[in-house]
Amino acid sequence: MQEKMEKSNMFHTLFLVPEKLINKIVTSKYNPLYYHGALPQFIMYVLFLSGLLLFAYYVPTVDNAYFSKNLINAFTSVDYITNTIPFGAVVRAIHRYAGDAMVIAILLHMVRVWFTDRFRQYRWVQWLSGVVLLLMVMFIGQTGYYLIWDERSLLLTRMTVSALETLPVIGEPLKHWFLNGRNITNLTLSNYLFIHIGLSFSLLFALWIHYVRMTRPVITPPPALNYLLVALILVAVYLFPITETKMADLNLQPTNMEIDWFFLWPYYILSATGSAGFWFWITVLLAVLCLIPLPMFYGSKPVEAAEVVTNKCTGCRLCSLDCPYQAIEMVPAPAGSRFKLLATVKSYRCSSCGVCVGACAFDAIDLPEMPDAQVNLKIKELLEAK
Amino acid sequence: MAEERTVITLICERAADINSLINDKSEVTDAPGVKVLKFPCSGMIQPLMVEQAMKSGAAGVIVCGCQIGDCYYREGNKMIRERLLGERPPGLKKTVDRKRVLALWLSKPQKDRFLSEAKEFLSVVRRLDIEESKKG
Repeated sequence: MQEKMEKSNMFHTLFLVPEKLINKIVTSKYNPLYYHGALPQFIMYVLFLSGLLLFAYYVPTVDNAYFSKNLINAFTSVDYITNTIPFGAVVRAIHRYAGDAMVIAILLHMVRVWFTDRFRQYRWVQWLSGVVLLLMVMFIGQTGYYLIWDERSLLLTRMTVSALETLPVIGEPLKHWFLNGRNITNLTLSNYLFIHIGLSFSLLFALWIHYVRMTRPVITPPPALNYLLVALILVAVYLFPITETKMADLNLQPTNMEIDWFFLWPYYILSATGSAGFWFWITVLLAVLCLIPLPMFYGSKPVEAAEVVTNKCTGCRLCSLDCPYQAIEMVPAPAGSRFKLLATVKSYRCSSCGVCVGACAFDAIDLPEMPDAQVNLKIKELLEAK
Repeated sequence: MAEERTVITLICERAADINSLINDKSEVTDAPGVKVLKFPCSGMIQPLMVEQAMKSGAAGVIVCGCQIGDCYYREGNKMIRERLLGERPPGLKKTVDRKRVLALWLSKPQKDRFLSEAKEFLSVVRRLDIEESKKG
């Protein structure tokens, strides 16, 4: 409780003030802060669609021998998309800026979930799967930068290889997996494309785990917010068209590159600290992210799960339908009962929020800390006290 | 008019932070007659509790949860709102006078809003009390 109070001051200025303001302007129904989890999901669909259009023209090769007159490879196909195909440049820029928007939305989601204290105890599965999702999104975004096959892609590839090489035992196999062979070849780019697209669709699986303990997850923002988001991305597309770059040349070693701060910051760590430092800091970062929900940091008392009053439960299922964390399961009632079903609480999922108490018309489920009878007694006491 | 009846507030402990407003008798200091009972989530409030409070002699009931869309336990405030409106079982009984039930959805820093709404509601239900005692 004490710890919560300290956090609340920062929380107040960081979130509650803008939250209040936005509520005043657009009402709580359209407050993007109330859809922080749904926004990345919508952006994912924008990325799927724009990515599908790009995929139609993309050629995942370094050098295609069959087209000897004109070099057709990843870079020239991206160039063709950008300069020849109607609106190709727009679709490409949408794909890039939607990716950036994805990182922003995920960070907003993460920070807000942390500040509002909605990540631990009965929610640890959501937090950990969220960390995995973040990792996946980062890697998908980075492979997107390899796919362009300009000088930056080559530099990124070589930096990744050098980082992988320093890992003991698994370093070499990982490098071979990453390059799809011992050297950079046509197969390398098809591997990148496979990772980029394959991992993108794997997001759906990870999202299933992200949602599996939640009843009715909020996954669709109101259409008005979606339109606004797309409009913002289009503004970015118009203001910052993607600049032309140079094709990768395997005989040269590019040294400088523009850093995309959304996806490529790990490479900044890599160039600043070297391979060993890079793996150290990435491990630290991941460990911190994974350990954040550990209960011992918060001194919070364990959740006292709701309890079903067995002889009152009629098996009407209302509590199990309303439970926000899928913590109530309806099981066949014991022999001799007048009813078919009986509610049972999975205590490891229970948040002790009392929503099931509100759903029960028969006083058949109670929070041990605050049983119904006690609530009614307190109401009476309050009314009688002068 | 024999005595001024009490208004019961059933409030989520994560909604408007009114700790500084209430005295040790769970009464709102600046609005005497409004008494407060806290819940872990507004979703825990049963319509039955609202009815019970009325039956036990409350002049009115204020139900207060977080901003709709921002329930800490995800959907609790939406559920009690739907129950009060009779859109979700178990609903509030038709016999309960709707004029005497006030639902508020306030986020943590909105204690001033709570106080002004509570004061207004108190005067409204007391006026209702007077009107009804004249009639009956």
